[in-house]
Amino acid sequence: MKTTLNLQDADGFYEQLLDAHQGLSPDQSELLNARLILLLANQVGDAKVLKECVEAAKTLPP
Amino acid sequence: MKPARGDTMADHYAETAYSNGYHFSQGSGYELPEYPFAAPPEIESGETSHHAIVIVGGGITGLTLACALAQYGVPAVLLDEDNTVGVKGASSRGICYTQKSLEIFERLGIYERIAAKGIQWSVGRTFAGNDEVYSFDLRQQSGYNLSSQPPFINIQQFYIEGYLVERIYELGHVQLRWRNRVTAFKQDGEGATLTVNTPAGDYHLRADHVIDATGSHSPFRKWLGASVTAKKGDDRWCIADVRFQKKPPVERHTWIEAPFNENRAVWQHLMGDNVWRIDYQMAPDADPAEVSREEVVRERLSRQFGADAGVEIVWVGPYAYRSECVDRMKHGRVFLMGDSAKVVSPFGARGGNTGIADADNLAWKLAAVIRGLASPQLLESYNEERHEAARQNVLVTNRTARFLRPATPVEKRFRDAALSLARQHLFARQFVNTGRMAVANPYSASSACHRTGGLSVQNVAFEWPDGSTGRVNDLLRWAEGRLLVLLFGDAAPASLERLRSLAETAPIRCVQVLGPEDHPGALEYVRDPKGHLQGACHVFGHAWALVRPDSYVAATGESVDANLVHAVGQALGAAIEEDA
Repeated sequence: MKTTLNLQDADGFYEQLLDAHQGLSPDQSELLNARLILLLANQVGDAKVLKECVEAAKTLPP
Repeated sequence: MKPARGDTMADHYAETAYSNGYHFSQGSGYELPEYPFAAPPEIESGETSHHAIVIVGGGITGLTLACALAQYGVPAVLLDEDNTVGVKGASSRGICYTQKSLEIFERLGIYERIAAKGIQWSVGRTFAGNDEVYSFDLRQQSGYNLSSQPPFINIQQFYIEGYLVERIYELGHVQLRWRNRVTAFKQDGEGATLTVNTPAGDYHLRADHVIDATGSHSPFRKWLGASVTAKKGDDRWCIADVRFQKKPPVERHTWIEAPFNENRAVWQHLMGDNVWRIDYQMAPDADPAEVSREEVVRERLSRQFGADAGVEIVWVGPYAYRSECVDRMKHGRVFLMGDSAKVVSPFGARGGNTGIADADNLAWKLAAVIRGLASPQLLESYNEERHEAARQNVLVTNRTARFLRPATPVEKRFRDAALSLARQHLFARQFVNTGRMAVANPYSASSACHRTGGLSVQNVAFEWPDGSTGRVNDLLRWAEGRLLVLLFGDAAPASLERLRSLAETAPIRCVQVLGPEDHPGALEYVRDPKGHLQGACHVFGHAWALVRPDSYVAATGESVDANLVHAVGQALGAAIEEDA
């Protein structure tokens, strides 16, 4: 899992992500997020990296 | 103590599921065979008899083991509490048999009967709502198309059990004792003692090895103090076995969200005698009596197939899926197999097929130990290999169960995401999990397999020296329970000599496998012009494969050297030598 910056345009992606949720109900937003996770997971592919990403995401702030 | 409501429901389902036999609300139904009870000789003599092997339970697992032992010529006694096949089995009995199981049945001599009565299928389609999400044709997949047996045959389980019984009578060696119920068990360092109840009275048996094939309600688990890892959900299903005047296609159809079943899952499968199994997912914790009421079932069927489908209901059974796995499959002199060892949801046909594989795995090992060809240490590998398979099958079926019955709103949300993506993009079809079909499980942690082995060998064809067609099973039958060394390609005289002298001291039979141009050495040989046998043994070029009687490779290697000698010892449970 990469922990240093790998995104070509972090600000642009972040904005795109928020825009995608604009005007959606909470249910629709949840579905969009779930779809996005599955799409991105397929881009990553590598089982070890995916596992580390899930673990890292689970480390919620206190 | 009053159990919680959930427990009551689950128990009620279990009782319903496991007390039902095949009974018929209409139609001619099946005439199940009845086998004669004979008063065991121990009752008249009053003496405790002694047997090397006693199998308890005459379901598909126990009978497969009995038949395999009979084929090896090894005596055994099988005790069954009933006097027929099928009747006291679970409602959710097997209908779908994998290529590996069919290959085993071919070796046991009942495959032709199964093929004649059963239905071959290879096309599966998965639907969500009104759309087909994906389909597959197993015949197009290279993993299946080289065997002499098809990917799957669907047939009622009791037919196979009946064929096994008749084959055992034909082969001899194994006594089938009907209406013999084991009521008590104890074991010591020397063996086990069983107390058996029959219509003619009670008696005792001593056994060197006891096989518990009594099924999911095994009394042995308690007698042995066997710990069990179990999972019980609230998912409820109701089977309808039906005949139609307007027949559906010979394909496996599965729905994730069937519009005709309140957006719950539905399975549609064909078996022998034109009987279809339609399996409906019910609302969580649904009342089993209500969902299996005839009018309710008819209404459900006509929603799916139309009012004019000409439905004849053969049998109806509500049940709850669950998963259980004992933590060890060998306890002293007792081997647990089939549903005694693990219970899985029926997705992917991983119940009965793994029971058959349990039996085939243990049969040759017991036979080899009893005939003095292998060390008793080999029997430990039964637990190592088949418990790995059991754990894998529980894992895989639990994943399917979770997809089909999302436990929380967020699990449902991910399923919605997967289904919607599957309609749009190829990759997402892989998330749609309506069951992963049973496979011949690999063995990665067995003391009897080298790391180059542990894989199943398909029953592929080759040529005998006279040009006629032979199969892997022919070689295995010829080896009569010994290990088979297949040596691929031409070989140096020294290698052939080394193999010959090994065969004089070890229980192996050797065959040279030649390409079209190779010249035979002094060994027995066959030809493999298309390389199918080599592919089935998972080797390339000049190589050897050590094939076990259950058609798994124990090890593979390149040259005839100390590694081969070592692998033979390892496959027979002999003390591990130092690597040369």
